[in-house]
Amino acid sequence: MISWSSILAATLGVLLVCVALAGVVAAIRIRRHSREARRSRLMAPFRPHLVAVSAGEDPGGDSRRVLADVAGPARRALAESVSGMLGKVRGLPAEQLVEVLASHGALGRAVEDLGHRSPVRRAQAAQLLGLSRDPAAVDPLVGALGDHAAEVRASAAYALGLIGDPRAAGPLLHAVGAPGGGLPAGLAADALLSMGVGISDSLVHGLVDPDPRTRTVTAHLCGAGSFTRALPLLRDLVALDPDLTVRETCATALGRIGRAEDAEVLTRHTQVEHPQPLRRVCAAALGELGDPSAVPTLAALTHDPDPRLAELAASTLVRLGPQGRAALAAGGALRPVRSAMTMARLQGVLP
Amino acid sequence: MLVADDDADIRELVEFKLSQAGYAVQAVPDGLAAWEAFESEPPAIAVLDVMMPGLSGFDVLRKIRESEHPRVPVLMLSAKSRDSDVDTGFAIGADDYVIKPFSPRELLHRVNTMLARTR
Repeated sequence: MISWSSILAATLGVLLVCVALAGVVAAIRIRRHSREARRSRLMAPFRPHLVAVSAGEDPGGDSRRVLADVAGPARRALAESVSGMLGKVRGLPAEQLVEVLASHGALGRAVEDLGHRSPVRRAQAAQLLGLSRDPAAVDPLVGALGDHAAEVRASAAYALGLIGDPRAAGPLLHAVGAPGGGLPAGLAADALLSMGVGISDSLVHGLVDPDPRTRTVTAHLCGAGSFTRALPLLRDLVALDPDLTVRETCATALGRIGRAEDAEVLTRHTQVEHPQPLRRVCAAALGELGDPSAVPTLAALTHDPDPRLAELAASTLVRLGPQGRAALAAGGALRPVRSAMTMARLQGVLP
Repeated sequence: MLVADDDADIRELVEFKLSQAGYAVQAVPDGLAAWEAFESEPPAIAVLDVMMPGLSGFDVLRKIRESEHPRVPVLMLSAKSRDSDVDTGFAIGADDYVIKPFSPRELLHRVNTMLARTR
């Protein structure tokens, strides 16, 4: 039996914890607010100059000189404000803001801060180096891809994407599959795509990386960035890779960037001896590829016992033009065919 | 001209850039203030952020297009950079869409062009 006094004590305890938590939240807010107010106060005399430089309205460099001469506590406040502004503008104003930071030694300090004990400082340093878009920051940022803190690795990858130097492509791809927690695939892919065609060699190497996550991201990038140099390897990997996700991603990439001869590779992998998820991806990829030689195989697949595969095959036939639609009409009584045709009518693809 | 952005940095620099080019600019920090400013005096052009407290930039744009002055050119200035965001902006009736981080110089060119077309 629980006594009233113990219920009262527990209630009081919970109340005390709530009050304490509310106090902590209020204290954090007050501290943040006072920091912001102090920063605004320190920055006030220099704010018009910062705005002028950020707007690209400092042709004579007068405002940049004023900002470069800022000293004392205002210098740190200015560095924060300039970093904030750097994420908002591009072009000449961004380059001039980086000049201001460089004149204060902030970029050199950011490189040093990549080794700071606080992961927050390391992540902020990586971000600042990325915003500076300075190719000299590539090597230290590549080093930060191996940081034990996930947020620092993510910041370094983002920063490398901002700099856009293809020298970082190989290390970025490798970092996706690094042991002990790699980079999120989407983040690495975004960063790599911003590096342009210069990553082509790294992609060819990435497709044969021992880690399947790296191979998957690489295959995705080959398709997304139209890297046709990788086509021979993509064909091999659809057939031979030990990892199913890699095979599926390669099939999707082949659908996007493949040639007419790739219809045979994809068609072969829609057959019953292959894993069901791969068969489905290949059926959809044939629609992307758009080669009508796949019509007989797809028409046969509309009879497949897997309803999802049958429906995908029917939808792909709709996308393959008159030949595909003629084959669909022949199998009009089948449920997947009816459903694909209904969808196509709703989407306005069929009259 | 009307500039609406909840980010003081952007608001100030766009206001400064356009003022330097000789335009009279009213800058406001949220969507509701933007709509009130538009209603009290329709601007020659509105530059709207998308993500603002209260009314979003898209909400303001919709209201402008349904107002008595639906032809006022509107430029969306946003960090929302996905194709679907840009599509939404144009579908609602934006005349232009600039993605942040942006070049102030390019923004000015676009504003000048939009204004020249309406004159």
